[in-house]
Amino acid sequence: MPTGSKISITLSRQLGSMGCEVAQAVKDRLGYRVVWRELINEAGKRSGTPELALDCIDDLGLLGITVPARYRAIYKQAMEEVMQELVEEGNVVIIGRAGQVILSGYPNVIHVQIIASHELRARRIAEERAIPLEGARAQVDASDRNRRLYLKRCYNARWDDPNLYDLIINTDRVTPQSAAAIIAKTVSMYTPTGTLSTF
Amino acid sequence: MSLPSNKKKLEFAHPSEEAFALILDYYGIEWQYEPRTFPLEWDENKQVLVAFAPDFYLPQQDLYIELTTLRPQLSSHKNRKIRRLKELYPEVNIKLFKRREMHTMMVKYGLDSEAERIRGSEAQEKNG
Repeated sequence: MPTGSKISITLSRQLGSMGCEVAQAVKDRLGYRVVWRELINEAGKRSGTPELALDCIDDLGLLGITVPARYRAIYKQAMEEVMQELVEEGNVVIIGRAGQVILSGYPNVIHVQIIASHELRARRIAEERAIPLEGARAQVDASDRNRRLYLKRCYNARWDDPNLYDLIINTDRVTPQSAAAIIAKTVSMYTPTGTLSTF
Repeated sequence: MSLPSNKKKLEFAHPSEEAFALILDYYGIEWQYEPRTFPLEWDENKQVLVAFAPDFYLPQQDLYIELTTLRPQLSSHKNRKIRRLKELYPEVNIKLFKRREMHTMMVKYGLDSEAERIRGSEAQEKNG
């Protein structure tokens, strides 16, 4: 890694893909700060729409929050500002919230997508939350739908567009620790121009 | 999904409030139940005549939440209180959320035991 460079990572993940575990492993390995809920809440406070932060967290739509479209635009703007400030600080893993789109083109940002097969994700959620597998499948479906819609509605982007990412890691067989090692290796190869040096 | 031990003794005024708290817990959102009462009107002796205690406060979002039924009369009454609160305490963020049927969605997402608990307390309220 070039001296003085401040690399940041956006981490886009599916429910049950162990994305948060990967982020934690990256933190342990690189000492980066991990930002997730703080980002959501800060954007809510800045935009004066804290209920939208709650809406973002409500992945399953259980709270039934309705917010006028004009507030969503203000919140989106605040989110972008907070994200850009984080990248200026550097050494941060930003989880979710369309970071792969907002920060696309930033040479010092690596975009990572963490995926896993639908059935395995549902099994992980069922085990982690001690709920029936059928309910876990429904949670995975709802989460996928909401995250897909967020990117489409706010940025007219497709979550599963591989062009948005530098790395796509499938945790069906790759452990969070191995995923973090791959990400750390990529960070170490980054050059100030945003290209990767060779292995 | 269950209420933390220090919150188990809480008595909610309405089953939907308990349901709301359970959902907040499920998402790992910190909450407080009716932590503050805001005086809204005083008499000439500065005694409080009207006060308002929002149902929840979410410290991480710095947001007060009041739940209301779908009955328009009650909803507009609460809206008036919230408007007054905002006039007197402009720094306070508060939102009125309409109570909604959560039982079906909770069952769909595998939260059956909590859903049953809510339905049970709703039935008790209706019968009691």
